[in-house]
Amino acid sequence: MRLLRAWLIRFGGLFSRQRRERELNDEIESHFALHIEDNIRAGMSLAEARRAAILKFGGVEAAKESYRDRRSVPFLEILGQDLRYAMRTLRKNPGFAAVAIATLALGIGANTAMFSVVQAVLLRPLPYPQPDRLVEITETNPLKRWTHNVVAPANYADWRRMNTVFRDIAAYAGVDDKRASIFDFFLTGSGDPQRLRSILVTGNLFDVLGAAPLTGRVFTDQETFGGHERVAVLSYGLWQTQFAGDPHVIGRKLLLSGKTYDVVGVMPRDFVFPGRDVQIYLPLGVQPAFFVQMRRPHMLNVIGRLKPSVSLDEARAQMSAIARRLEQTYPATNTKMGVRLDGFHTALTTESRPALLMLLAAVALLLLIVCSNVANLQLGRAAAREREMGIRRALGAGRFRLVRQLLTESTVIALAGGALGLILAMAARAALLRLAPAAIPGFAELRIDRWVILFNGLITLCAPLLFGIGPAIAASRPDTLRDRSESDSHRHRVVRDLLVICEVALSVVLVAGAGLLVRSLILLDRVDPGFRPENAIGFHLRFPQTRYPDDDHCIAAIQSIENRLRAMPHVHAAGATSSLPFQGQIYTGDATVEGSTGDYERELRHDLITPEYFHAVGTPLLGGRSFNEFDTAKSPSVTVVNEALARTYFHGADPIGRRIRFGRPSDHDPWTTIVGVVADAKQDGLDVAVQPEAWTAITQQANNEINFVLRGDGDTAVLAVEARHSVREFDKDLVLTAVAPLTDLLHDAASDQRFRTTLLTGFAGIALFLAALGVYGVLAYSVAQRTKEIGVRIALGAGLPRLFGMVLRDGLRPVAAGAVLGLAGAWLATGMIRSLLFGLVPADPVTYAFTVVILSVAAACACAIPAVKAIRVDPVVSLREQ
Amino acid sequence: MENKADVWQGTLALMVLKTLESMGPLHGYGIARRIEQTSGDRLAVNYGTLYPALLKLEQEGYISSAWGVSDNNRKAKFYELTRAGRKKMQSEARQWEQTTAILARFLEPAKERS
Repeated sequence: MRLLRAWLIRFGGLFSRQRRERELNDEIESHFALHIEDNIRAGMSLAEARRAAILKFGGVEAAKESYRDRRSVPFLEILGQDLRYAMRTLRKNPGFAAVAIATLALGIGANTAMFSVVQAVLLRPLPYPQPDRLVEITETNPLKRWTHNVVAPANYADWRRMNTVFRDIAAYAGVDDKRASIFDFFLTGSGDPQRLRSILVTGNLFDVLGAAPLTGRVFTDQETFGGHERVAVLSYGLWQTQFAGDPHVIGRKLLLSGKTYDVVGVMPRDFVFPGRDVQIYLPLGVQPAFFVQMRRPHMLNVIGRLKPSVSLDEARAQMSAIARRLEQTYPATNTKMGVRLDGFHTALTTESRPALLMLLAAVALLLLIVCSNVANLQLGRAAAREREMGIRRALGAGRFRLVRQLLTESTVIALAGGALGLILAMAARAALLRLAPAAIPGFAELRIDRWVILFNGLITLCAPLLFGIGPAIAASRPDTLRDRSESDSHRHRVVRDLLVICEVALSVVLVAGAGLLVRSLILLDRVDPGFRPENAIGFHLRFPQTRYPDDDHCIAAIQSIENRLRAMPHVHAAGATSSLPFQGQIYTGDATVEGSTGDYERELRHDLITPEYFHAVGTPLLGGRSFNEFDTAKSPSVTVVNEALARTYFHGADPIGRRIRFGRPSDHDPWTTIVGVVADAKQDGLDVAVQPEAWTAITQQANNEINFVLRGDGDTAVLAVEARHSVREFDKDLVLTAVAPLTDLLHDAASDQRFRTTLLTGFAGIALFLAALGVYGVLAYSVAQRTKEIGVRIALGAGLPRLFGMVLRDGLRPVAAGAVLGLAGAWLATGMIRSLLFGLVPADPVTYAFTVVILSVAAACACAIPAVKAIRVDPVVSLREQ
Repeated sequence: MENKADVWQGTLALMVLKTLESMGPLHGYGIARRIEQTSGDRLAVNYGTLYPALLKLEQEGYISSAWGVSDNNRKAKFYELTRAGRKKMQSEARQWEQTTAILARFLEPAKERS
């Protein structure tokens, strides 16, 4: 208690220093007055009395210092002094301050921004209670090359029934492999139909997630099934935008794609599943038999919540055992069908993890470069401040005191840089959300939250330790106050050169990495997609069952629409297909190819098209024919295949005339004859090999949803508008979705690669610039120091080119060392990003050569400026200078 | 020659408190003089070291200060013992007596034997 009181009074002593100082002086004066009086009374003379009193007192200044130390908190007082001094110093050197703060802001800001992304995607737990208990369950099958496939409904039902490790398992449908919603429902009833992104879920999904609604309720188990499924749960966003946050929205009726739904609940603002884009949750609405009988089609995403005491491994073991039992019970469908369990968060992040970690590492290297640069800047100033430090040491400042003051200065710079960096990070977030929203996975919310701010604070406080301690210790080295005629401290130069070597090495690593990614992207772009994306658009149509109850209606509609499209002006060709390339939705099935040995194919891509499809999409026919009007439901079954299929099964022999049977051997489907071969067209990505594929005419097998491809010679936007018109004329309630030029499909498929390449190239560019700046700084300083020597050389007749070369070599020496170190480091580091590359090995010689060239150019430019300055030295002026 | 021992801060504080108790309010010079006298000149105290000690005692609330006038009409800062200071002095004095008593027992038997 006493201690606390003492400390509080001491804190108070930080203020009103002048008054207390006066009081202390008064007290000491009065002490001396009293003592001297006594001494005089004892018989001494005035001079003796004074001398005796002074001697007896001891050191006056020392006593005062002791007193002052106890009066307030010396630590804070010194800190205050140092801060004020640092601000004064920085204000007197605005150039240095500006460059240092800007550089730090860049480095710290980039790190903060990158961390905010990592925080949003990898670190922040999902917004559900106990999210680590959530598990994604997928099916595997080596026969079909499945490693994590969507699940067959009957398997899901059996898992649910037979397991004891999960509290419950739920399922949902309507997302693609990136978990973006692909199911669109159309809100009609007021003006134009509004497209809503939706997913279809089992009634227990919200229960499994543990998510409570904001208002209303969530689904019940019963509502999974048909007859009870006309209920809807809205997302918070939809509630705000579409219903203006109407408090009475519960119970309102919505007309969705022709059916009436009751709104039963609204989710809270921070609820997101599985991605931010989902606006409305609807029940699966299937017949109970669906879950018991459908064991062949796979379409459900499954998520389960483990019981509290069960570990993931235990669950894996039991589910594998269940899968094996199902295999035995249903050999026709479940042979080799296994299960795979992954933590839900892990499942969501596997794809983005490698790239994010790479970018985080890159940005950390950038920070090191930034700190090196600022350290170099400070060392450059250290020589200029030698005199100041010398005086302070002579006046009695301890080494620690000087280091402390210099570190405070570094901290002030770092704080300014860090604050600016935080603002930069906020700007980066806004830019990212606007320009590349797809780069952030759907479930992640990019926020500058308190962890990001904490991270920013942490590196802001650690940075001065990195770039400040060295120069502080160097600057406070005990040295006599001497004349600064020859102050190019050799030691300083060595350290600065070492820093340059480090900077150059680190930036080479970044440039090499960026180079590899850029080359990968270029190689990717050069890949022939196998179709012609220019001047063509695609769009999706779904024929509602109410108006198009069976296949014939759909076929007729498709043909009619195709004719209308073809009749439009500027249209060269129009065709339709069940799957457009690069859309992430594929249809596969079992098939037997005549004459092939071994087991039947269990995963053959099989799509439905109209005769003009290949012409419309631009895939050349290599042999035989495409479908024509004679291929009808009654004519013999025919099929067209791609080169990959011909290569795989016929090894180069002509496939035309050979036969394929779609379906399993036990189904005894009729044989289909191959009548045509088309060139290979990329299906899932420019970097994925083409799989064997077969096509059937829609007249022989139809679907109620289809994609149209339209090729014209005009603006694709115009094509889109006209297409909408045409379809509307045919049936005004049909809505076109996913209308996009084919070039967009190609472009979007590589958007992830493009994003990370752009970022890494940006970092590498900044790094190279900073390294070049560092090289320039050291060399410029050295030239300035050696002006007299250079003057002498010129006066003695040194050739200017030779002098230029000498200076240039002096500057490039650390660069060369750094480059060698950097290339070695790059060779080691880039091995880790192998998975992100396409068409290259990490040790790609072209990229490394290019890196060396870029570095040389940058370094040469950086060194050229001081070299030019050197040869322009006027010997008369420099020799006169003292 | 007589031994002049160093003074610890803690014992100095106790001596200040005791001095103020027996002498009543006193200024810094007076306290220092009195301490030297009481120790019979065995203590060599630099008078300057007293002031930080006085400040500490004041911050802890054991003494209070006020400007006043000395016998010879000189302005001086006088210090006075507070109630807490009196209690502290008594408890500290008790502790010292206990410590000395215990040590005495340790040292005595050796003397007896020899």
